[in-house]
Amino acid sequence: MKLFKKISLVAVAAAFVLSSAGVGSSVQAAGSVSGKITINGSTALLPLSLQAAKEFQRLNPKVKIAASGKGSVTGPQAVKKGIAQIGACDWDASTDVPGFKAFAGQVANKVAVIPFATVVNKSVSVDNLTTDQLKGIYSGKITNWKEVGGSDADIVVITRAFGSGTRVNYQAKALGGGDIVKKAKNYKEVGSSGDMKTAVSTTPNAIGYIDLVYVSGGDLKAVKHNGVAATVDNVIKGTYKIWSYGYYMTKGQPTGATKAFIDYVQSKKFQEGSLKKLKFIPISAMK
Amino acid sequence: MSTPVHDLPAQKGTLLQTPVQQSSRWKRGRGSRVRFTNGLFKYYFLFSILALCLVLALVIFFIGKTAILTFKDISLAQFFLSFDWTPEEGKFGAASFIVNTISLTALTLLFAVPISIGMAILIAEIAPKWLKSFIRPILDLLVGIPSVVYGYLGLTVLIPIIRTLSGENLGDGLLAASLVLTIMILPTVSRISDDAISAVPKKYREAAYALGSTRLQVIMKVVLPAAARGIAAAIILGMTRAIGETMAVVMVIGNTAQLATSLFSPTSVLTSNIVMQISNVEFDSTWNYALHMMAFLLLVISFGLIMIIRLISRKRGDVA
Amino acid sequence: MSSFTPTRKNRRALIWDKAATGSFYALGAAVLLFIFWLLYTILSKGLPGINLQFLTKLPEEIDVGGGIGPVLFNSFYILILSLIISIPIGLGAGIYMAEYAPKNKFTEGLRICVETLSSVPSIVFGMLGLAIFAEYFDIGLTILGGAVSLAFLNLPTLARVTEEAVRAVPIELRNASYALGTTKFQTIRTVILPVSLHAIVTGICLVAGRAFGESAVIILTAGLSTSGEMWDFNLFSPGETLAVHLWYVHSEAIVEDAKQIADKSAAVLVFVVLFLNLLFRVPLWFNNRKLKK
Repeated sequence: MKLFKKISLVAVAAAFVLSSAGVGSSVQAAGSVSGKITINGSTALLPLSLQAAKEFQRLNPKVKIAASGKGSVTGPQAVKKGIAQIGACDWDASTDVPGFKAFAGQVANKVAVIPFATVVNKSVSVDNLTTDQLKGIYSGKITNWKEVGGSDADIVVITRAFGSGTRVNYQAKALGGGDIVKKAKNYKEVGSSGDMKTAVSTTPNAIGYIDLVYVSGGDLKAVKHNGVAATVDNVIKGTYKIWSYGYYMTKGQPTGATKAFIDYVQSKKFQEGSLKKLKFIPISAMK
Repeated sequence: MSTPVHDLPAQKGTLLQTPVQQSSRWKRGRGSRVRFTNGLFKYYFLFSILALCLVLALVIFFIGKTAILTFKDISLAQFFLSFDWTPEEGKFGAASFIVNTISLTALTLLFAVPISIGMAILIAEIAPKWLKSFIRPILDLLVGIPSVVYGYLGLTVLIPIIRTLSGENLGDGLLAASLVLTIMILPTVSRISDDAISAVPKKYREAAYALGSTRLQVIMKVVLPAAARGIAAAIILGMTRAIGETMAVVMVIGNTAQLATSLFSPTSVLTSNIVMQISNVEFDSTWNYALHMMAFLLLVISFGLIMIIRLISRKRGDVA
Repeated sequence: MSSFTPTRKNRRALIWDKAATGSFYALGAAVLLFIFWLLYTILSKGLPGINLQFLTKLPEEIDVGGGIGPVLFNSFYILILSLIISIPIGLGAGIYMAEYAPKNKFTEGLRICVETLSSVPSIVFGMLGLAIFAEYFDIGLTILGGAVSLAFLNLPTLARVTEEAVRAVPIELRNASYALGTTKFQTIRTVILPVSLHAIVTGICLVAGRAFGESAVIILTAGLSTSGEMWDFNLFSPGETLAVHLWYVHSEAIVEDAKQIADKSAAVLVFVVLFLNLLFRVPLWFNNRKLKK
């Protein structure tokens, strides 16, 4: 009995070693991959990661994927610390961006295009804002809607916390790198896209910014940027500028199960299928 | 009132040796087994409490070792005395968060303590039995409502009300946060005070009634002082939960790093600032260290508040 | 009695008494009304849409009609695991503080430890769990990590409630028991615990309810995803719970019926807490009845 136990234990151990060795030596055909992948980072990319993980695990039952999200910069940091294989990030973390240094030795894998929109509460009559007007509003120089062609009411500025991927991109592309005011009476920071949507929807005279995907419902509306409407078509045409790539950061070039997973996310099947349904834009659509 | 209950365990250690040793008349196996389990469990109980302290030590070690790095880059004076929190420009003054945290906690207790203790008195002393067994589980239900739901209701129901009543543009601020917190700690404080009040021996009340006291007099002069220890514990638990609560506060406080000048100005407390920023800063940056320092500070502040409440309740206890 | 003539002071005391009773009732009514409004708001939006399918299906990211099956399972699984870890230690610590602790500086220190620990914000426990399990043991985001971190969060409350409950046991009962020649542990097991059981169970209910709705700890330690199958007992699977799912759906989900899913999840959460309360208490009611007979 004891001997039998020992033998089976050895057999299990051997099988385990073999299978993990299999992962080590670059793997290929779907179905034969195994391993454990942890994805951390941007919450904006989380729906995409969860959906991709679900589909990928169906094809490769031996791969275990755990996903979580806290903030964009958590992604590359978790990769750097070694607690995640993939760090989802809304900017290319292998280069410097305002506020964050580059993460050395990491590779940015593009997985999606994320468009952003300036949104206002339905009580606001303005439907177009120029870069300069936005700059003025967010830096606190313009505080009343009548200064940008609206009715006489205080502007309530709602913004994401510093370091949010949405904020980094919006600041760079919609405000031309302009400042966002930090302390004022009509100023509020929110922690997630959902909170942003709720806050702008329920606060009269509010302005905010959000991933285009979340713009729905009658209580908030997207405004044009420099006369161009925030639509997927305009992003692809290149006329609407407020968008960015979403990245999967990895430590060096991805290998094994991680590589197979990223390949799957970048595959035509996923990009043209689920990714489009999630209202992201496929990376191949951009020139 | 605490003395009789308290002293017993102390004497006990010596007392109980005698009966057990005499028991050698019992069957030997049973006697030693009883003695063995008795000793074993004493150590088990001691081990449990030490395990708890170990968790606290882990927390302090883990937070502290990062927090201490803060002072490599900024001075103690700047951190504690400056009201300017602009990390992007290297200004790490946490004073406004500290003041705000204390005002928020005070404001919350101001609302929550009278209501909770009133509820506890109602349940334990006044209400008929059927009403008691009806209210208790319902109060417990409040604990189980997730903080996200509280925050969401605060954001969509409470804040618009505050906005119309006050005429402010936003409505976020200390008032909204403290009202949400009041509801969140109400069940904890009232249920534990309820237990404390119910535990006051019946004979105290009967003696007071025999002297011709009205119910109100019995409650105010006999029951509440006798239950003061337990009520203080309840308030401490509620208060510490209020200090540590994050997810709901973040949604209604406005998250603006400035000193709260009115009940309605968007502001930020230690917890909300930690939660908003901790996930968005680099691990080895002064900013991250400063946030850890704030978490550490949170421990220190609640430690201080606990000491104050203990001091007050001890003085009261002596008078009673 | 009939010869008793109330003085002015007596009369004032009686009026005060009546007024106080009235206002206590008014306060109670106001709080109850408020709670009912709260529960109605949460349940009325969610409950009607709940069916078995919603409770057992997998969550969806794209298509309308996703369920909460695995996250609901994880909620219970993590809650039970964390209670298994925290109840023995929490009760033990509480009993020590009430029965064994000598009255000295060391005990004061222990008590302050417990109270300080109860003020540690949940996110700090999350950060601690992340550091221990994901960094030190390198097992990633797992059910195990979530359960242990959640147990940390439960411990101080459990200890505190147990201590109060045990202290409330009348001294006569102890003395009677010791007079029979029992050891300390026998007295605790056969007299003190049964008598204080009711209050301890109240405490466990409070703790379980809070743990069931806790999200900050779980996001950091057990992740925001599930293994994608029902009944996954593996301790090393990622373990998104219902409260976390609720947070996720509120915050980031882009599926069209996110709002309905959030409403329904909130209703389920509240409903489960109600159910847990019943589950713990009904046996106690029966027990009480038996004692009275």
